[in-house]
Amino acid sequence: MKRINGMLFVSIIPFFILIALFLFIPLFSMIYASFQGDGGTGFTFNQYAEIFQNFYYHQAFKNSIMISLLSSLIAMVMAIFAAYSITLFSKNIQDRILIFANLTSNFAGIPLAFAFIVLLGNSGLFTLLFRAWGWETLSSFNLYSWSGLILIYVYFQLPLAVMLLYPVYQGVQAGWKEAASLLGASSLQFWVRIGAPVMLPSVAGTFSILFANAMGAYASAYALTGSTYNLVTIRVGALTTGDIFARPELGSALAVLLGLTLIIAMFINEWLTRKVRRDLL
Amino acid sequence: MSYVTIENINKSFNDQQVLHNLNLAFEEGEFVTLLGPSGCGKSTLLRILAGLTTPEAGIIKIDGKDVTNVKPKDRKVGMVFQSYALFPNMTVEENIAFGLKMQKMNKEVIAKKVSRMIELVELKGKEKAYPRELSGGQQQRVALARSLVTEPKVLLLDEPLSALDAQIRKNLQKLLRSLQQELNMTTVLVTHDQEEAMAVSDRIYILNAGHIAQEGKPHDIYTRPANEFVARFIGNYNVLTKKQISLLIKDESQFTHDLYAVRPEAFGSEFIMDGYKISGKVQNIMPLGNITRYEIVSGGVAVTVEHLHKSYEKLQENELKTLYINKEDVIPLT
Ligand SMILES: Nc1ncnc2c1ncn2[C@@H]1O[C@H](COP(=O)(O)OP(=O)(O)O)[C@@H](O)[C@H]1O
Ligand SMILES: [Mg+2]
Repeated sequence: MKRINGMLFVSIIPFFILIALFLFIPLFSMIYASFQGDGGTGFTFNQYAEIFQNFYYHQAFKNSIMISLLSSLIAMVMAIFAAYSITLFSKNIQDRILIFANLTSNFAGIPLAFAFIVLLGNSGLFTLLFRAWGWETLSSFNLYSWSGLILIYVYFQLPLAVMLLYPVYQGVQAGWKEAASLLGASSLQFWVRIGAPVMLPSVAGTFSILFANAMGAYASAYALTGSTYNLVTIRVGALTTGDIFARPELGSALAVLLGLTLIIAMFINEWLTRKVRRDLL
Repeated sequence: MSYVTIENINKSFNDQQVLHNLNLAFEEGEFVTLLGPSGCGKSTLLRILAGLTTPEAGIIKIDGKDVTNVKPKDRKVGMVFQSYALFPNMTVEENIAFGLKMQKMNKEVIAKKVSRMIELVELKGKEKAYPRELSGGQQQRVALARSLVTEPKVLLLDEPLSALDAQIRKNLQKLLRSLQQELNMTTVLVTHDQEEAMAVSDRIYILNAGHIAQEGKPHDIYTRPANEFVARFIGNYNVLTKKQISLLIKDESQFTHDLYAVRPEAFGSEFIMDGYKISGKVQNIMPLGNITRYEIVSGGVAVTVEHLHKSYEKLQENELKTLYINKEDVIPLT
């Protein structure tokens, strides 16, 4: 028994080293740097003070939160219906659709932006096609705008949302549906009174993940709009890689605040869920 | 005309026929049990009655009305599942009130009915508890109350007690039977446990591979099994061929059927005037608490014998023993 435990312990050491190297050390050095003056000149709150006073950074947070909320919401609503539809297929087809969703959810970043540019950019395939057919409203769609950005975000959020929600439907027992119907409930009444409340915690959890996924997205936005769109991740990128001049300490402070936003969002989510599902205390 | 009739029901899954042209009828207020081994089609039949599964052919009538094509929610049928299927996001009260709320019943009436039902199933004090805070037996009582409170025309129970341990199962059997009598509820119970079936039912249908093997009152089924399947499934009948029984009893002329069944407790040590006599060696003695079970071997044939345990009557392995049995306790099978 002792020996096996010892072996187990040894075998998870690489895992701990990995976590330390790629999670804790970067995290702590980021937090540490955020309390340093430019160039690492001693402890100070100056970086945070600057962020709180600078309208430009307020706007970055506002934009990031807006696009994350909006794209998560749209993806969530679509996924609720999409995942349900998937459960109606035979097991075989369900598996195939999930593989497809898995693939597409990993299709993000610069390749995704490029794919969209090829299809919907100023001289994109569909843009030209719509123009040729005289579909003005569609051909005048501007990919490099706010709505273009939302479209791309929704595109990489949707498959993730579907994959996370699909198992949640499996958790809604067929027995509950049958019991409800024998007690006189319609399908809608079942979903409103039992299905939805039962799924709510997982749906809320999925929303948190989507929100974080969007808040942290960088490459697709950067590839599509350069640094013209003011998002927190693009600001952090610019400050650390030094598009104009590098200020890694300020970038670190922004990143810490981004992380805090995610944590706060998670707590709000959790709190709201518990208010609705009193039985989960 | 019976209260519930099931006529010529056929059902297949993936080309495999599960129910073979079944005909059953239940009277109003009757407690009927569908008894059979696992996989014989009991649940399927019950689900067809509830409208949760569609039969390929046949007619279901409840209270004189053809409900074959009526949706489950409009059949006025209550059902309790082995898995309880309580709504996890609702309290005991809310679970029980659910069906009445669906009927848009007045709030005060609902409250009154729910609290009476909670009393009936002995769950007072648990009104505000959530299902996960209850034991299995308590959960099943909530499920029972949830179905009963809507006053369904027929109450269907699919192995409601099978997941519970023996003591709680016995108690709930009593509760179930007394509630059923009090409310005069037409009830159909599905179970694979023959003791349970005997304990609670007015009448039993024994199912075997989608056919009805026998139908009758518990006592009649127990004392008069109609065929080998029932004899083996009910109790621990000795099933003997014509040859075996002739060797055992040494009276060939009497036995014309191919198979005979004899209950182990039908043998006795006292002389019976017009009965059969068997003598043989005692083997494999097993004290089972209040009964003793052993085998008598005679003419190379072994039969199982059971009688009440008597401490003054010491049995010896290989001892020679003579037993008697009534002629009508040697039951010919078809
Ligand atoms: N939905 C289904 N799909 C395919 N086969 C099924 C389905 N339901 C039941 N069966 C089959 O029908 C037979 C009878 O099942 P069931 O009625 O559940 O038996 P019981 O309740 O007597 O144990 C079994 O062989 C089972 O595998
Ligand atoms: Mg079953």
